[in-house]
Amino acid sequence: MRITLAVTITAILLLAAVPVWAHHAFSAEFDVNKPLTLKGTLSKWEMINPHSWFHIDVKGPDGTVTEWMIEGGSPNTLIRLGVTKNTVKVGTELTIEGYQAKEGTNKAVGRNFVLADGTRLFLSLGGSVPGTPGAVPESEKK
Amino acid sequence: MNDRFLMSLGAIALAILVAVVLVAPTSAAAQAQKAAAATVTKAAAPAKPWTAPRTPDGQPDLQGYWTNNSYTPLERPKDLTKEFYTPEELREAEKKAAEREEEQTVPGTTADVHYDFTQFGLDRSQTRLTDNLRTSVIVDPPNGKLPPVTSEGQKRAADRAAERKKQGAQYDQVQNIPLGSRCVYQNAGPPMLPPGYNPAYQILQSKDTVTILIEMLHEVRVIPLDGRPHAPQGYRSWLGDSRGHWEGDTLVVETTNFNDKSAFRGASENMKVTERFTRLSDDAIRYEFTVNDPSTWEIPWKGEMPFVKINGPVFEHACHEGNYGVANTLKAVRLEEKKAAEEAARKGTK
Repeated sequence: MRITLAVTITAILLLAAVPVWAHHAFSAEFDVNKPLTLKGTLSKWEMINPHSWFHIDVKGPDGTVTEWMIEGGSPNTLIRLGVTKNTVKVGTELTIEGYQAKEGTNKAVGRNFVLADGTRLFLSLGGSVPGTPGAVPESEKK
Repeated sequence: MNDRFLMSLGAIALAILVAVVLVAPTSAAAQAQKAAAATVTKAAAPAKPWTAPRTPDGQPDLQGYWTNNSYTPLERPKDLTKEFYTPEELREAEKKAAEREEEQTVPGTTADVHYDFTQFGLDRSQTRLTDNLRTSVIVDPPNGKLPPVTSEGQKRAADRAAERKKQGAQYDQVQNIPLGSRCVYQNAGPPMLPPGYNPAYQILQSKDTVTILIEMLHEVRVIPLDGRPHAPQGYRSWLGDSRGHWEGDTLVVETTNFNDKSAFRGASENMKVTERFTRLSDDAIRYEFTVNDPSTWEIPWKGEMPFVKINGPVFEHACHEGNYGVANTLKAVRLEEKKAAEEAARKGTK
């Protein structure tokens, strides 16, 4: 169950966005000295607050499947922007770069979510879908 | 209405403001006009005469879904002296702020230990901004900064810090973890300031009550309009005890009876907040507030910003329900303490 089983620890050279404001100090929850990369399939997306959690099944070299919980962003604004649970379907293959929880179990914060085709997961639809709750009301568009 | 036209309207509004200030700085009419021009949003300069909508009870209608999503800081940044941006400057400032939010952090740094706001639609630029031309939320003192803190306020801040220190480091005990992280309280106010993300509000009115649903962190303000007195002094709460009344088309809300834990910007429980909500157009409300707490600040201070329309609904935030972060953090601290104790014991037996 340790990270060596299913996870390759790498010095991650990819970059994540600046946390300009945050719900809590993630560096108190996750260990900056334990960067990791996980490749697996989504088994559940908990669209909960204050932060959502992605459950992914990670298959080790011996075929053993280990479940990891990955912390992501609050779903409310996404829902207002038209994102649903089906936007990232169960079974989606994801590569997640992040940092493991200090408390030592299979939890991590996902600083970058990458899809199977190598593109970064980008959940926000930017209010571009007319009529979605967070979009500028049609009546106010100039 | 195209953007260029809107920008000219903004420029005209600014010109009116400047003219009013120069010509008749002390007259009541000038003050009123200054106030009218003070919150300049894209929507605040209607193209044709606009009539404020009314509820079936005949009250000014503030109902709907609103946001105060903004990059405007509470205090004016050090490098700025002017009160307003031009529309062009605002666009540039918002563009830069959006770029900063999208910026990439360096792997292996503390700042990098976080999910990516941009991936989750949480950059402020990814949802509707209020386009407030002001360079700070604070309008008085005119320098856009909080007034000096009284000696009593300084002593209280020191006492509070000492009390926290007794509990250990910030994440050692749940009592020391910030209120927002514990899902207790985060910018719900009053005064209601942008919470950073999920900045959604719903205002509902009945004849005797105005109710404000605040998405972060799942707060509801129920404001009686029937003239009843404030709750007894012994009643204290996070959001305080609000009473509202109409002054012309403006909803005025006075709030007292705060507890001593919300401590807005270091305030005491005796803080009084007066808010004024004025519908400016179909698309905007001007929100003004005055914070009066003589035991904390030498003078009262005032802020102002717009709320603009968004589509609803306001979603349930249910912050505590999924807040695994606090438990994970405390478990981590206990684990570190255990390891340290084991290490000490091992060294002791050598």
